[in-house]
Amino acid sequence: MHEASVTQAMLDMALEHAQGQRITDIHLQVGRMSLVVPECVEFYFEYLSKGTLAEGATLHFETVPIEMTCLDCGRQADLSDWEDEQPRAIMVEALARGCQCGSSNLRITGGTGFHMISLEVDAAPTTKKAKENEQ
Amino acid sequence: MVNIPVLRSITEANALLAEALRARFGQQDVLVLNIIASPGAGKTTLLERTIEKLNGELRLSVIEGDPTTSLDSERIAAAGVPVVQINTDGGCHLEARMIQAAVEQLDVEDADVVIIENVGNLLCPTGWDLGEDAKVVVASLPEGDDKPLKYPMAFATAQAVVINKVDLEPYLPAKASVLRKNALQINPDLAVFEVSALTGQGLEGWVDWMREKLAEKREF
Repeated sequence: MHEASVTQAMLDMALEHAQGQRITDIHLQVGRMSLVVPECVEFYFEYLSKGTLAEGATLHFETVPIEMTCLDCGRQADLSDWEDEQPRAIMVEALARGCQCGSSNLRITGGTGFHMISLEVDAAPTTKKAKENEQ
Repeated sequence: MVNIPVLRSITEANALLAEALRARFGQQDVLVLNIIASPGAGKTTLLERTIEKLNGELRLSVIEGDPTTSLDSERIAAAGVPVVQINTDGGCHLEARMIQAAVEQLDVEDADVVIIENVGNLLCPTGWDLGEDAKVVVASLPEGDDKPLKYPMAFATAQAVVINKVDLEPYLPAKASVLRKNALQINPDLAVFEVSALTGQGLEGWVDWMREKLAEKREF
């Protein structure tokens, strides 16, 4: 249920960066362990963006895989062949394989975030309010 | 069509505030624990027993998070330590801005340890940094010994797990040893304590861990 507040934060960030221009697309990265469900974000976005310059914008989600890093040597585990597995299975596998350096001291260091990468906007302001903001 | 790069974390505001809180707690030499568990796991009872154990030795303060009611903070106040209740009004987790508001009401500089009892929920609270030194998961045996498998993020990001209600083990299909094994499988560094907050069994190990964490923090 926290997707509602996360979506509002995302919308606020998008509107701030768009500076009064109409937003057509928002590119987002969602970690496998981010606790953010893209379908929920889309659902809330449609509702929350109504009447804003982001209304009707398309959300693009890119999934960020889980990243496990060795605390002893700093290497990242190569889990590319396990990316599609369940998150817990990926973590267990990474720990079972251990690091190249022989350590099994690995921690999750990525795939936990929710990021806005970029926006696409219509260059010309299209609403009265936007024009006012421009001036 | 114009492309505007953003490259920012959506929860950046929370992360920045949490770091500011961590710096503040660090200056004041206060150990801050974020307790995460399902509803009914025994978080508040564990706090009551912890307060009794450390009474006269360490100064504790508590921040209580609940969707509604002040039932938990009343229990903590009755145990004799400063407490602030946060009602999230239905919200599923605490956020750094709520902790910032709560610490204004606590004399944090007069505390050795601040314990934050998060909203009863094993999922959402793990995604929100509150400026704590360590997350602690309380997992009670009646919930089943498979919780680390179903909620890996909570266990992967915690430093300690308190397995509560172990006095009920003879009556349950769940085993503390299995819960421990499942938790260590994704986080081998976890400190694991098997306790019964109700009977007091095993609490000494948990309280010792808190003492050690505080000592570690004050060494720096």
